[in-house]
Amino acid sequence: MLSTVFTELADALEADALPATDPVRQRLFPAGYRDDAAAATEFRDLTESSLRSERTERARRCVVEVAQDADEAAARGVDLHLDADGGTRWITALNDVRLVLGTRLGITEDEMGDVDDESDPPHAQQRALYFWLTTLQDSLVQALMP
Amino acid sequence: MPGTLTPTRKGARQADQQTRPEVDRPWVTIVWNDPINLMSYVTHVFMTVFGYPKAKAEKLMLDVHHRGRAVVSSGTRERMELDVNTLHGYGLWATLQQDS
Repeated sequence: MLSTVFTELADALEADALPATDPVRQRLFPAGYRDDAAAATEFRDLTESSLRSERTERARRCVVEVAQDADEAAARGVDLHLDADGGTRWITALNDVRLVLGTRLGITEDEMGDVDDESDPPHAQQRALYFWLTTLQDSLVQALMP
Repeated sequence: MPGTLTPTRKGARQADQQTRPEVDRPWVTIVWNDPINLMSYVTHVFMTVFGYPKAKAEKLMLDVHHRGRAVVSSGTRERMELDVNTLHGYGLWATLQQDS
C-alpha cells in the first residue's frame, strides 16, 4: 500500500507529467508571490525543478525502506525504525502524498472522513486512503514532537 | 527586480521617516491556511525550519489556522525567498512580500 502511493507520487512528479495549470502541480509548487505575477514566474523558474528532485528523492527513499522492511519481516507487517531525520523525511513524504490525493479529492477544511461514501463510490477507496494517511502522518508527527 | 534588492543599511533610515523609502521596508514570509496540512505537521515544520520553540511554533500555527495567515519570518528579500522555497519543500502554502 505505502509502496504504491509513493511510487504514484514519484510518477506524478516526473517533469511535464502534469500541465502547469493542473491543481496538483499548483499545490505542490505554489506561487511564491501573491500579487506579482512576473516575480512569481521568475521564482518558480528558479525553484520548481529542485523542489521536484527533492520530492522525488524523498519518495524514492521511502519506497526503498518499505521494500527492505517487507523483505526482512514479511509476516510481521510494516515495522520501520526511524531516527529523527528519517522520521521527518517520512512525514514530509506522506504530506506530499496527501497534498496530491487531497487536492484531487477536493478535500475541505472541516472534513473528518465521515462522508457518505455510497454517494461517491468511485472515490470512496481514495478517500479512505487519504484519511488513513492523515492518521498515520499525525501519529508520526506526535511521536517526533519533543 | 527579483533577487536584486539592495541590502538595507542602517544609515539610510535617517533620511525621512514619513516617506519611508522602499528599501527600508523589510520583506516577510507569510504562511496561508489550507485544508490539507495538519496542525501538528505545521507546528513541526516551524520548529524544524526556523528552530522556533514549540510554544512559538504552535502560536504561529494557530494564527494561520484561525486568521488564515501568519507572518513567520522577516528579513531581506533573498532570505525570504529562501524561506518560502524551504516551506514549499515541506508542502506549506507560503509567499513573500514587502512589509506594508
